[in-house]
Amino acid sequence: MIFHKHQATVNDILSRYPVKRSAMLPLLNLAQKEEGYVSQAAIREIAGILDLTPPQVFETATFYTMLNLKPIGKFHVQVCRSLMCALVGADPLVDWLRKHLGIGLGQTTEDKMFTLSTVECLGSCGTGPMMQINDDYYERLTEDKVGRILKDLRETGDCSLKSGPFLVPERGEGVVSL
Amino acid sequence: MSNTSTMVTLTIDGIRTEVPEGTLVIEAARQVGIMVPHFCYHPKLEPDANCRMCLVEIEKIPKLQTSCSTRVAEGMVVRSSVPHVESARKSVLELLLGNHPLDCPVCDQGGRCDLQDFSHEYTPTVSRFKELKRVFPKQYLGPVIETQMNRCVSCMRCVRYCDEVMDAQALAAEGRGTITQITHWAGNELECDMCGGCIQICPVGAITSRLSMYDYRPWMLKRTETICSYCGDGCQITVQRKDDQLIEVNSALGAGRNNGDLCVRGYFGYHAAEHPDRVQQPLVRQADGSFAEVTWEEALDRVARQFTRIKATHGSDAIGGLITTRCTNEDLYLFQKFMRVVIGTNQIDSGARYGHINGVRALRRVQGTHRWTIRYEDLAQADAIMLVGTNVNESNPITALHVKQAVKRKGAQLVTLESLLPVRSTVSNITTLSKHHLEVKSGQFSAAILGLVKAVVESNLVQEDVAREAPEFVQTIRTNVAKVSWDAIREQSGLSQTDVETAARTYSQAERAVVLVGREVLRSLGGEGLVTNLMDLQILTGHLRRSGSGLGCLAEGSNDQGAVEMGAVAEYFPGPAGLHDEESQKTLTRTWGQAVPAGAPATLPEVLTRARTGDIKSLFIVGDNPVESLPGDAGVTEALDALEFLVCQDLFLTETAKRAHVVFPACSAMEKDGTFTNTEGHVQSVRQATEPLGESRPDWEMFSALSVLMDHPIEYNEVKEIFKEIRGVIPGYGLLGPASTPPKVDEKTVAQYVTSGFKEDVDQRYTLDASPAAPEGALTLRLVQSLYHSGKYSTRAKGLMEIEGEGRLHVNAREAGRLGIEEGQTVRLANDGGQATVSVKLNDRVPDAVAWFPEHFDEPVRALFSLKVDPHTHVPVWKTAHVTVTKWSSTNRSIEERSRV
Ligand code: SF4
Ligand code: SF4
Ligand code: SF4
Ligand code: FES
Ligand code: FES
Repeated sequence: MIFHKHQATVNDILSRYPVKRSAMLPLLNLAQKEEGYVSQAAIREIAGILDLTPPQVFETATFYTMLNLKPIGKFHVQVCRSLMCALVGADPLVDWLRKHLGIGLGQTTEDKMFTLSTVECLGSCGTGPMMQINDDYYERLTEDKVGRILKDLRETGDCSLKSGPFLVPERGEGVVSL
Repeated sequence: MSNTSTMVTLTIDGIRTEVPEGTLVIEAARQVGIMVPHFCYHPKLEPDANCRMCLVEIEKIPKLQTSCSTRVAEGMVVRSSVPHVESARKSVLELLLGNHPLDCPVCDQGGRCDLQDFSHEYTPTVSRFKELKRVFPKQYLGPVIETQMNRCVSCMRCVRYCDEVMDAQALAAEGRGTITQITHWAGNELECDMCGGCIQICPVGAITSRLSMYDYRPWMLKRTETICSYCGDGCQITVQRKDDQLIEVNSALGAGRNNGDLCVRGYFGYHAAEHPDRVQQPLVRQADGSFAEVTWEEALDRVARQFTRIKATHGSDAIGGLITTRCTNEDLYLFQKFMRVVIGTNQIDSGARYGHINGVRALRRVQGTHRWTIRYEDLAQADAIMLVGTNVNESNPITALHVKQAVKRKGAQLVTLESLLPVRSTVSNITTLSKHHLEVKSGQFSAAILGLVKAVVESNLVQEDVAREAPEFVQTIRTNVAKVSWDAIREQSGLSQTDVETAARTYSQAERAVVLVGREVLRSLGGEGLVTNLMDLQILTGHLRRSGSGLGCLAEGSNDQGAVEMGAVAEYFPGPAGLHDEESQKTLTRTWGQAVPAGAPATLPEVLTRARTGDIKSLFIVGDNPVESLPGDAGVTEALDALEFLVCQDLFLTETAKRAHVVFPACSAMEKDGTFTNTEGHVQSVRQATEPLGESRPDWEMFSALSVLMDHPIEYNEVKEIFKEIRGVIPGYGLLGPASTPPKVDEKTVAQYVTSGFKEDVDQRYTLDASPAAPEGALTLRLVQSLYHSGKYSTRAKGLMEIEGEGRLHVNAREAGRLGIEEGQTVRLANDGGQATVSVKLNDRVPDAVAWFPEHFDEPVRALFSLKVDPHTHVPVWKTAHVTVTKWSSTNRSIEERSRV
């Protein structure tokens, strides 16, 4: 029962749409927030809430690369590999990360700490190469910096080098960030 | 697209044509003989316009338009084969083929594939795409369906069919772009209605049947149009064979009452007739009790001599006959004629006794015709549809499709009185479409129906003219229902006054309303009375005589309706006409050249009782299997063992046939000609699709052969001659075939009923019997019809056995939690009758405190049930029992297992 403790949020989401089915993406997001990925149990539950079948929820979830359908590590390292970042060294950065973490793209370290993926432009082209880890950006990356970021995250769960993402208006000022 | 639509004139490729407003351009083109190439369009589905194959040029519209989603307009000028239209098609095909494997030589669709055909017509042989093609591994989507996603053109026809038509929503388009693939979900084994519709509707070979993989090329197949024998819907099927091997069954768009749709039994169940256990040779019991294969001459001679001897020594009424409703009209007719003319007895009954007879009797009594006064087309026009105890999706899947379409496409309001929960899953559930679903406690339809009548009478929903014309009728019912309190109704049926009243209002106030009644009512004690009460409901609300409104009883067997019409039931001569109907006696005497027998009839339970008491010395059982269709305490085996001589005519050596002295090998419906009458009353042609297996013969031939040997020849050169005789003896039987109009309510009968006829039993019909309460802590166990099976016959079909190969105890998760049991666990069921160990399956549409078990596999649990016989109509009722459930010492077992490790 993933949504059990979020009943109020679920009701709020449902109240926003005249057609129930439209609430699918916010619910998928909520599920991912809760468990780190969209589990089969979550898909069943969402189907139940929206009066759909699991295949209908599943197919929607598979359309979005940002929804994980398998469990991922505590930190999801997403390196931008679009043109601007590629020009300033995204590829060597990915290679370095692979070697350093000992995993390939789409894989998770054995200690369930890090999952590595590449993504398209994250809109920080002026500060490449860059990556996003969970909700935070890390920009103008160098090997040293990345090494420190991984170390900090592993040891303290946080890293002071993070920036953003910056929402306009700022978080907490009336924007529901789901 | 209403019936009274205005016409629109347009020009397509220079041809002027007139079509109703709202027609799609692609359909208008088809009507003038122009086939616009297409993948995603299908007349059964809403336009989706996702493949872009059907582009055409329409004057005054700057860009090419998809003809599958554009509707005609006055003066429209359409061009479908100008160069830039063709070049657009080429591009679409080039893109599709960019990722299509060179599979045609090994693809089951090869030879009837849209992509193949259009490619031959339009594609350049060279592609500009040099990239590697995508590769998906082939997948098994459950036990009978295979997918080869490399071949998929992403037209979504399968997904849309499963959603729009089946209402199962079992398929997902996983991923996006070129790596989109059709799956169930997240690698789970496919659970769905298994209707095969996705296979049928796929324009390429991306979804195929595992039962016929790689066995054929379409052009090698010989096709026969015939009728499915698995239920009363009577779907038209195309049986395809290569030489004498059955390859595939499907159904063409527009064919039959099913319009090309089939259910799992029709699509995947065709192997039953080919099962290796078929009896292929006449069998005669030897002195040592074993069977010996003999020639037809010997077997027939033996039976003829014994029948003659018994008739001579003990009289005609020492012989009785039972026949299955899987037989054709011709078989049924000739059987009763043989019994009445050659043997000289009226002791005949058929499978219609298991429940269908209850409906027929009530309809005849109140409306004067035993047939539906409505047909499938009326469902589509109905404003309200009410299902009462039908389990329609399981018992009559194609009737269910018509209901689904009426609700989803035409906005009919659905009222369901069913003992199941409206839980959605990837197996369709009709109650999820209900506007008002009344969850009736299992077996308590009597209280529910009484509630409906009470609501109509007490909420002023009675039509004024009815109250005026039949004041006594209305008043008597009013007085009766007033005596039953809403509390008592709720106590028994589980339904609240408000819910019943809302449902009754929806039904009453609809302009056109159709009621369908199913097995939960028809197979219950007092079933005839319940249907009669529903007829009263129709009279009170004015629906009985309104065109487009009516009530239909769902026939479970492929020819339940025919069995009654052919006079193969105790109470009727062909017609059905009463045994004392002088008109009918005269006609039959004239046609048969001999007076009809005067002896008393005997229903199935009476036949068995008389056999037990020794009054009946010999039985002729054709296809029926009372040993396995009745519970142990019915004493069927005792009855059969007491006989001097038992003859069985069957496809298999059933538990009944095993007790016979002589067994005649009968052939299946696939192997003979004749007619079936479907639940709506359509008489449809059954055609021989394969050669009779071994020495087996159509049933009627054996009756005829015996009659000759017994010096009472009733002979026919072919089955058509029997049909001609049937038309001669049944007045008005000429209205046949798919275009027939349903009969009208007989005004005289109705008038007689509302003035005096109803009085006969109205007081009994409107009282609540105290229903036996379940003992404390007991679960109500019900034997139910599974969607994947039909009787015991379908358990011989290998495809259906792959889908559901054993009986499991269905309970919902709450109940399982309460009992502390889990999916797959073994539990022990017990009551006074006996005990059984079965494994558990979770099924969230089963109501609380109830468990379902598929009747097709009832062998292990049959001892738990006991027989009750309806005192009036003699319908055997036994499919509900109360049991206690205990975990089958799983702990002990796991300790054992652990110690083994
Ligand atoms: S119900 Fe099953 S077999 Fe029928 S269309 Fe859907 S997925 Fe295919
Ligand atoms: S499997 Fe067939 S019907 Fe389904 S999307 Fe692919 S091509 Fe179309
Ligand atoms: S079992 Fe009934 S619904 Fe299914 S295909 Fe046969 S006739 Fe049609
Ligand atoms: S290209 Fe990397 S953030 Fe835009
Ligand atoms: S058939 Fe018209 S777009 Fe597919």
